[in-house]
Amino acid sequence: MPELTSTYVDSLAPNAAAIKNGQGLVRKKSFVELHQSENGELLFGKCAGSGKTPYECSVDFIAPDSPVFRCSCPSRQFPCKHALGLLYAYTEGQTFTPAPVPEDIASKREKAEKREENKVKQAAEGVEPKPKKVNKSALKKKINAQLEGLDLLEKLVLSFVRSGLSTIDKSAAKTLQGHVKQLGNYYLSGAQIELRRFANLMFSGNDQEQNYTYAVEQLTRLHAFIKKGRAYLLARSEDPELALDHESTIDEWLGHAWQLSELKEYGLVKEGAELLQLSFYSYNDAARQEFVDLGFWLDLSAEGGEIRRTFNYRPYKAAKLMREEDSFFDIAVVPQLYTYPGEMNARIRYESMSPRPVQGADLEQAAAKAHRSYSEVFKKVKNQIKNPLSDKQPVMLLHAAALGVTENGQYVMTDGEGTRLLLEDLPTIQQGTVGLLPFLPAGAREDCTVLVMFEHDLDQGRLRAQPLSVIKDEEIIRLLY
Amino acid sequence: MSTALLQELHQEYRRLYIAGSELAAGDFRLKRLLPQFQQLGERSPVFKKLGEGINALLEPGSPDGPAPGIQLQENTLLLESVLYTQGTTTVDGTPGPLPVRKFTLQTNQTYRKLAPVIEALTTTGSGRYEIVLDAFKEGVFQDLRLLPLAVSALNDPYSELAEYAKNHILPAYGPEIAGYLLESFNPAGGRSEVRKLEVIAQAGASSHLDVIVQAAENGSDEIRAAAMKCLGGYEEYTDALLEWSADKKKVIREAAYTALAAGGSVRGAERLIEAFIQKKDREMLASILANGAPSEVYAKVTALFQEELQAAPPNNAGKKITEKAWEELVPFLITLSHVKTPELDAIYSYVLKEYDRYISLGWVPLFDHAARYKQESADNAALEELAELAQRSMRHLPNYFHAAKRRVSPQEMFDRFAGLTETKLIGQAAKQAAQRSQLLVHTIEEQAVDLYWDYEVRWDASGVRQYNKKMMTAEEVAAEWDPRWLEWSIKQDAMNLACVFARPGHQGVQDYLRGKLEGTLKRYTYDRLANIFKGLERAELPELERLELLMSVLEENNVRNLYTFDHYLFEMMERFPASYVDRVKEIAPRFKYESKRQLEYILDQLVSKQ
Repeated sequence: MPELTSTYVDSLAPNAAAIKNGQGLVRKKSFVELHQSENGELLFGKCAGSGKTPYECSVDFIAPDSPVFRCSCPSRQFPCKHALGLLYAYTEGQTFTPAPVPEDIASKREKAEKREENKVKQAAEGVEPKPKKVNKSALKKKINAQLEGLDLLEKLVLSFVRSGLSTIDKSAAKTLQGHVKQLGNYYLSGAQIELRRFANLMFSGNDQEQNYTYAVEQLTRLHAFIKKGRAYLLARSEDPELALDHESTIDEWLGHAWQLSELKEYGLVKEGAELLQLSFYSYNDAARQEFVDLGFWLDLSAEGGEIRRTFNYRPYKAAKLMREEDSFFDIAVVPQLYTYPGEMNARIRYESMSPRPVQGADLEQAAAKAHRSYSEVFKKVKNQIKNPLSDKQPVMLLHAAALGVTENGQYVMTDGEGTRLLLEDLPTIQQGTVGLLPFLPAGAREDCTVLVMFEHDLDQGRLRAQPLSVIKDEEIIRLLY
Repeated sequence: MSTALLQELHQEYRRLYIAGSELAAGDFRLKRLLPQFQQLGERSPVFKKLGEGINALLEPGSPDGPAPGIQLQENTLLLESVLYTQGTTTVDGTPGPLPVRKFTLQTNQTYRKLAPVIEALTTTGSGRYEIVLDAFKEGVFQDLRLLPLAVSALNDPYSELAEYAKNHILPAYGPEIAGYLLESFNPAGGRSEVRKLEVIAQAGASSHLDVIVQAAENGSDEIRAAAMKCLGGYEEYTDALLEWSADKKKVIREAAYTALAAGGSVRGAERLIEAFIQKKDREMLASILANGAPSEVYAKVTALFQEELQAAPPNNAGKKITEKAWEELVPFLITLSHVKTPELDAIYSYVLKEYDRYISLGWVPLFDHAARYKQESADNAALEELAELAQRSMRHLPNYFHAAKRRVSPQEMFDRFAGLTETKLIGQAAKQAAQRSQLLVHTIEEQAVDLYWDYEVRWDASGVRQYNKKMMTAEEVAAEWDPRWLEWSIKQDAMNLACVFARPGHQGVQDYLRGKLEGTLKRYTYDRLANIFKGLERAELPELERLELLMSVLEENNVRNLYTFDHYLFEMMERFPASYVDRVKEIAPRFKYESKRQLEYILDQLVSKQ
């Protein structure tokens, strides 16, 4: 069993409210029984709820890294507040009397063991999961529908351009939302999201001029997407055998949700990785109608210093029940790391990981991976952002010879060759960070490593970056989250 | 490559997007740009391509060419790509070192801890105050990332939150916060800047005196006043304060007076006395001086007070004159409200001696002040003065009672006071005795019943603490009160007091209190059920009998709008035997609000006991 601390229990909870409710149960003394098995691997107890009989909940540490939560309550939140409360009661030092493992849990454990054995057996026998059969005619139908959808989208975009954005008023917004819905019939969820983003941009801010600037950019992006998507789909409809494009993000744009098995099929999986989270951010993506938890990671075991991203999408409708990710201060040791098709900051995912504390050597290693020449960095960044369908806010880990500020208050970081990079808060990130730079300890202002997010400022025509974290010696100073 | 030209083109395209691509043909502003692109196109293929794009847009020649809408999008797409690659990376000016701040703040809080606080401090809505308070208590504000928000909280529209940031959150960062706040301090600002100044002064006024003095001289009125109040303790600024105390603006004078009163310098005291004598600011000064002033100021005001009293108008002077005289007296009373000196004691003794003279002027509040002064000093002489006063006016019976409580034994207390309520049979005397009795009961109740304490609510998951009433403990009663008060209370039908003074083995009180519970209760009695049951517990009525009594009272009385059960009753209900399940189930629907939730909780407990 891992050492149970309240921060560890906090990290197991799906969200802050669950933490509060779990602790509330302990405070209210709702637990009528608290037990642990003889070897201490299983904590279980009974917790009074609103019903007649108390809920039976347990936390099983038979596999210490991945505790199993069980509870007889009907909550869809997982782990529920009762299981969390049980752990909080333990961390608070309440007495858990030794008792034999209850029968139903023993049988559940047995079943789980069997499943585990079967898996091992299958792996040992080398049974490959059967390759998925592709229904060619269905695929063809789908592609044709998508092409049709693109035509529809093109007509719509063209009508906006022809009559001008100034003619789109609030009443037109309603029909626009209708079109967004309509696109759902054409297997184009990606396009649907981007069209909704356009609608949101048109009416989001109070400054209509700024709305126009963003909306125009979004329209050209839609145009580029239609062109590229159509070419790609046409090629695929000619040759249905053609595999998915596992190098560019076009499939994601079209709305394809990559499955881990597909990523594996294309060889986008790597055995053994050690991930260090450098920054974290969570935002509400109104176009996706989802909350997005975004983590920025450095793979210490990989060559090069590319920053990878983890995305955790929480649709509005299910947001309450889903686990909200959080800042992660340990190293995630990942047995299998999946990488999505993408550019500089490709998305990564993993199914299981075990944490280990960060050591000084890890940060040294991270600092060694930082890019040292800004002129090369600029080339790389510009090369990515000039492509209309690319991510316009690449994130990179840079070495800074010095951090400074000019007389007119602009923050600047400078590389070893004297090339400078302008640091500014980006409007798309709600939390400003440059104002925190003067608080850096004296040692961390020179010869340090900075994680930055780039953005091209169209109005001013210049490239700028917002610092997200600073690494110096044995410390990561997180300016964002 | 000319990025300015590219930017200009981008602006034109943006304009066409807004106006509609149909208007692009022959657009004269585009036309104006075209030659430059054509010229540059001779050397650079990108400009050539851009120029061709502009041309195609201006002259949509062939009908089978792309529609202007598509052409515009194609052009913009290319232009944006070019712009992205042409983004400048140069920085104007030479960077110097970052400013240094001596803060030792961490960045080790997680997103989940920070995000709710950040949301609370950047939005409006309910529940924000609690989030911020909890976070501060948990130490989340020691995270660097909350510092800027803690500062901006001084300007929060919810003033409680702004005050909390000023009084607790910002001072917790230590004296360094002053330097940080100074950077953004705006002497011409309003309320939030005043708060900032107050934090600066609190964190270390002495090291930022220059700024404070400047704010006192040149700031907005609000800022000036706040800054002056910070300068009180500094002798070197007395001259400036003296000057400001003669300012035309009232707020400025007030602030200067406050600083002088707090400073305690001789010249300051002289100025305050002078201003007090001048009468113009007397009322304002009174409330300032009441909070503290040099002793010579009090001595002078005391002397003036005496003169004023002696010069009181005769009782036939007429209402207008006596009222005016009273109004002039009020600032003295306020100024001296916390002062204790032999001189003042003598003045109040004189006032009490001259009771008839001053009461005839209708100056009742003067005796309130005198009585309170005497009550607080309460030596033997004062006690006798109060006894005499109480005899003259029932109004001051409580003062006498409180003073006596501190000086005489419990037995003597009873002898002195219980006798005052002897029932008289006839007329005015009977009426007065009844009033005295009521007043006395009320005075004792204030000391012995309805004292407040807080407790935890078990029936509500939020577990917020609330207030509850409690009465004086049995031990305190035994030590401080004569046992005869119990019979007296029953005789006066002072139910609450009978509950407090109840003691084991006294059959009378058991019968009396049980009698109170019979039949349908008056609302007054129902609201004080907790006291009755506490009394019965003191009288050592067996627990089971008390629980049964409570249950039947609940059954027999149909009180519709009770909000919540007293915590004592709730705890009794928690001890209900399991067999009461059906009876509780029967009555629960009658209740509403919190009392309903309490009963439901009890019901759950009873059910699980079964």
